[in-house]
Amino acid sequence: MIRIYRQLLIAQIQAAAQYRIQAVLWMLFSIIRPVIFLAAWTAVSNAQGGSVGGYTTSDFAAYYIALTIVGQLTTAWNSFEFEFEVRQGRLSPKLLRPLHPLHYAVVENLIWKATTFLPLLVVCALVAVTFHVEWHGEWWHLVLFVPSILLAAALAFMIAWVIATATFWLQRINTINTLLQRTGFMFAGQIAPLALVPTWMQVISYSLPFAYFLAVPAEILRGGVTLERGLLYLVGQAVWLGLAVVAFRFAWRAGLREFSAVGA
Amino acid sequence: MRYLRMFRAFASTEFQFEMEYRGNFYLSILEMFLVIGTSIAAVLVMFQHTTTMNGWTLPQMILLLGVYYLIQGGVNLVFSPSFERVMEHVRAGTLDFHLLKPVNTQFLVSTRHLRVVRAADLVLGLVVVIVGLLQVGEQIGVAQSLLFALSLFFGVMLVYSLLLGLVTLSFWFVRVENLLAIFWAFTEAGRFPVDVYPLWLRVSLSTIVPIGIAVTAPANAIAGRMDWIGVVLLGAGTVVAVGVASALWRRGLRSYTGASA
Repeated sequence: MIRIYRQLLIAQIQAAAQYRIQAVLWMLFSIIRPVIFLAAWTAVSNAQGGSVGGYTTSDFAAYYIALTIVGQLTTAWNSFEFEFEVRQGRLSPKLLRPLHPLHYAVVENLIWKATTFLPLLVVCALVAVTFHVEWHGEWWHLVLFVPSILLAAALAFMIAWVIATATFWLQRINTINTLLQRTGFMFAGQIAPLALVPTWMQVISYSLPFAYFLAVPAEILRGGVTLERGLLYLVGQAVWLGLAVVAFRFAWRAGLREFSAVGA
Repeated sequence: MRYLRMFRAFASTEFQFEMEYRGNFYLSILEMFLVIGTSIAAVLVMFQHTTTMNGWTLPQMILLLGVYYLIQGGVNLVFSPSFERVMEHVRAGTLDFHLLKPVNTQFLVSTRHLRVVRAADLVLGLVVVIVGLLQVGEQIGVAQSLLFALSLFFGVMLVYSLLLGLVTLSFWFVRVENLLAIFWAFTEAGRFPVDVYPLWLRVSLSTIVPIGIAVTAPANAIAGRMDWIGVVLLGAGTVVAVGVASALWRRGLRSYTGASA
């Protein structure tokens, strides 16, 4: 398996090298929204005399910069790409190979994140300076962040794949994608740190997977959680990742039986 | 008049095309409800913690959001589907067919293709504007409405001239989708008044990507923060922008080498 992955890695790096500018541009999309909401919350915070519900203006900056980094590291576009592959009949040859299509996507995903991470940090540094960021974390926040971001990235990736399998039945899944994106927008901590949204929204965020792939790692990286709370969040992430993996295996197997592309 | 009639013809053909995929059509409208609904929810969450944001009240913010979707809807209804085809035509060398037709080419390439379903965005945006207006509660005078309509028109034309300029670049660089992607990434910033942003972003939103002006100016007009001098300046700026963009377009056409040229 390791040897296969090494080969895939080399092949994908070569493929990705052709689209360097595109890769960096895609990054813009993950940066611009957090910056917009950061600016808005800064305005709100200033109107309220420098702090809102325990978040100071510089806390907002720390949160949204953390959110940008987490957003970048948890990006998964498979629900879009998979639909395209199914429609174009490109899935069939992939299914014939001995390796599950998922593995190609894993490598592609990792390479994109690795190549765009450095430019992202540069932009984040720029934002940090403009918004006077302050970090109030402890060393263990950073330690906790490592498993949290890994779980979050895996969770987001698996959710994208679960959604992708819907293509087997529906052919076009734009609407489902939009639904997921907009609910994520509402409940994953993009419009506000989850502590500031109404309680009923918090309940949805933490009982469904939304909080666990974006807000949770961002709060941990910002240094905004206690140790117990942080560990509890990790458990929540692990549980949802487990559920997503099970759901994917189930949906994949059932979906393949439905699959009827050209040549399948 | 002739151009209006042609535009009607374009719209009805595209409508027939779109109606071939009826299910998709309705789902797109459903998606738009989701998008606008969640955007309003975001503003509501913010205003649970404050009554004003840089001097903007909640009704004014709703109004602004309505204007944002109104402009986005307008641009996505006509200009962006048309311009997408232009870039394809330039790449494939099939722009020749457009050039041969006995009409103004700039008109043709800007309006030939419509994404009819986006008209729903216009309607929804308008509904949000009206809801915002009712909430603002003050009497909106004739002058204010006129200021609003004018600045909205100028705003759309500003965005149009930028898009035309970007598309024109395809004559020299062939692939400009990436530039357009930057533009779309920035448009998202239009959902908040341009004055909340830090200076570097405000400058780029008002000059490089005029979406900031296009959205904020009409909302300002309704809120009574825009005077005639402002609108005249905006109008003058728009005229200059459209002039420069269409000069650039004619320049670009001259360097076009089609499949048969």
